[in-house]
Amino acid sequence: MPDPSTQRDLRLDFFRGVSLIFIFIDHIPYNILSYFTLQSATFFDAAEVFIFISGYTAALVYGRRLAAKGAIYATAQVLRRAWQLYVAHIFLFVLFVAQVSYTAATFKNPMYNEEMRVADFLDEPHVAVVKALLLQFQPAFLDILPMYIVVLLIFPAVLIGLRVHWLLVLVPSAALYLVTQILDLSVPAYPEGHQWYFNPLAWQFLFVSGAVLAHLNAQRISFPRLLRIAVPIAAVIFVAALVVRISWTIHGLWEPVPPLLLKQLWPAEKDNLSPYRLIPFFALVLLVAVLVRPNARFLASRAARPLVIAGQQSLEIFCLGILLSALGHVIISEYGHGLPLKLAVNAAGIAIMLLAAKGLDWYKALDQRPAQQPAIARGRADGAAE
Amino acid sequence: MRRRALLCLGAAAVLSAALPVAGPAAELGECAVPPEMLDLPARLRYLAQAIRDKAPARIIVIGGSSTRGAAAGPVENAYPHRLQLALQALFPDVPITVINQGMPRQTARQMLERFPADTSAEHPVLVVWEVGISDAVRGIDLGEFATTLQAGIDLAKDRAFDILLVDMQFSRRAAMVIDFERYLNAIHRIGGLNDVYVFPRFAIMRHWSEENMFNFDDVAEGERARLAAKVYDCIGRTLAEAIRNAVR
Repeated sequence: MPDPSTQRDLRLDFFRGVSLIFIFIDHIPYNILSYFTLQSATFFDAAEVFIFISGYTAALVYGRRLAAKGAIYATAQVLRRAWQLYVAHIFLFVLFVAQVSYTAATFKNPMYNEEMRVADFLDEPHVAVVKALLLQFQPAFLDILPMYIVVLLIFPAVLIGLRVHWLLVLVPSAALYLVTQILDLSVPAYPEGHQWYFNPLAWQFLFVSGAVLAHLNAQRISFPRLLRIAVPIAAVIFVAALVVRISWTIHGLWEPVPPLLLKQLWPAEKDNLSPYRLIPFFALVLLVAVLVRPNARFLASRAARPLVIAGQQSLEIFCLGILLSALGHVIISEYGHGLPLKLAVNAAGIAIMLLAAKGLDWYKALDQRPAQQPAIARGRADGAAE
Repeated sequence: MRRRALLCLGAAAVLSAALPVAGPAAELGECAVPPEMLDLPARLRYLAQAIRDKAPARIIVIGGSSTRGAAAGPVENAYPHRLQLALQALFPDVPITVINQGMPRQTARQMLERFPADTSAEHPVLVVWEVGISDAVRGIDLGEFATTLQAGIDLAKDRAFDILLVDMQFSRRAAMVIDFERYLNAIHRIGGLNDVYVFPRFAIMRHWSEENMFNFDDVAEGERARLAAKVYDCIGRTLAEAIRNAVR
C-alpha cells in the first residue's frame, strides 16, 4: 500500500474536476443539464465540494511546506495564492462590467428601462470599481472567489494551529459557524443592503473541516469505532435528503409527484451554509471516503484522466468555467433556444475546460523540467495541484 | 429555427382562420400561448362568487414599473387596464374594475408594506401581485423574499380576498445580466405550496420572444412605446384568459 502522505489522492482531483464541470453547468441560467448536477438531487451543490476539497488540498500542500521550510515561508506561499485568486477575481469583474455596460448601452426595450436603472454601479463606476477592489461588490456569479480569498488569509493560522492540535482549529471554527447560524450574522456588501453571498463566517467552517480531515489522514489519526456508528447514520441521512430533494425536482417537472417536506425545509439557504446543506454534505463525504478507495481503478482510468487533470488545475479552470458559462448564456439568448444548440454550448464549454486543463498540465510539466532544482520543482508541482 | 417557428405560426393562423376553433389559442390571436401555460389548478373563489352574483368586482393590481406601465405611455395602455377591458368583454354583465397600484422599483417587501392600505379602502375580490423584478435586480436575500411572498398570501387569506401572483417580465437582454432564475423558482414554489396561481409572465413573454412576435431591436425609437403597448395588451388579455379558467 502506498504511503498516503506522499501518494497523491486522485479522489480529490477527480471530484473537484467534476465539481468544476457542475459549476459551469449550473451557472448557465435555465440550463437543462442542471437537472443532472448535484443541485437537483441534493440540498448542497458543487460549491460545497469545491470549497471542501480546496481546504483539504491546501492543508496537504501548505502543511508539507510548513514542515519543510517553516511557518513564515508557508505563510508567504498561502498569501501568494490568495493574491492569485484576487487577480483572478478582478479579471472576472472586468469581464462582467464589460458585459453589463454593453447590455445597458444597447438596451432598446422600454419595458425594462426603469427597472434596469437599479444597476446602480453604472451610475457611479468610480465607487463600484473601488468596492470591487475591496471585495465589497460581488455581482452574480463573482461571489465564490472573495470568500475563498478571505478564508485563505486566515489559513496560515489554521496551519500553525494544526501543528499544535487539530481540535484547537476545529473547535473555534465550528463555534464561529454555530454563532453565525444562531445569530444569523452576515457580512455587508455593496450596494447598500447587499450581503456577501457566500458568507465567509459560515463557509470558513467547510474549508477548515477539509483541512482538519487532511491533517487527520496525514497523521493517521482515525476513529474506527466512531466510524462504524457514523457510516450507517450518514447513509440514512444522505439517502433521506436525496429522496426529499429529488421529489422537489420531479415535482417541478411533473406536478402529481408531491414535494416531500417542501414547506418545512425550503429554502435551504446557501449564503449562510445552512445545516440542511452542510449535514447531508458531510454524510456524503463520509460515504465517499469509505466507499471509494484512493486506489479505486476508475480514478486511474483514461476516461477519468481529463477530470482529474481539471481538478488539479482548479483555479484556472474555475475562472474559465465562469467565463464560459457567461459566454454560453449570451450565445443561447442571442442565437436561439433549440435543444441542440443548448447541448452544443454545454458540450463545447466542457470540452474547452478539459482541453485547457490538459494544456496547462502539459505546460506546467515542461516549465519546471529545465530548472534542475528538485526542491523548487516539487514546490511548483504542488502549487499547480493545490 | 425561426423560420420553422414562423411556418408553424402561419399554419396555425391558416387553420384557425379556416376552422371556427373554440379555445384560448384562437381567441388570443397574435398573443397566442401554449394552452398549458394558462392551465391552473387553483381557483379564484371570491371572484367566481362575484361573477355568479353579477356583483361589482374590484381587482387591485399591486406591482412595480411594469404594472404602472409608463413604457407604453398613458395608464390606459398598461396591462391592468387591458385586463379590465378583456374581462369586461368576457363577462359583459358583471361590473369589473381593475385598479392599477403599480409603483416603480419596489421590492416585494415594500409592496407588502402598502398591502393593507392599498386593499382596505377598495374591498377587492382579487389582488394581482406582480412581484420579483426589483428583488432579482437588487439580489435580495432569497429566504427573505420567500418569507415576504408568504406573508402577502397569508394576508389575502386573512382578509378574505383571492390572490394571484404575476412573475417577472422577460427580456433577452435583461435576463442576460440579471439572475432571475432563483427568484422565479421561489415565486412558483411559494405559489405551489399555497395553491396560489402564478401567472407565468416570464415564460409567456419568452415564448413570444422566441416566436419573434415582439422584437424591440428592430424597431425605431419612436415606435417602441407602441410596441410596448401591444405587449401589455397581450399580457392583459392572456391574464384575463387565465382568470377565466380559474372562475369556471
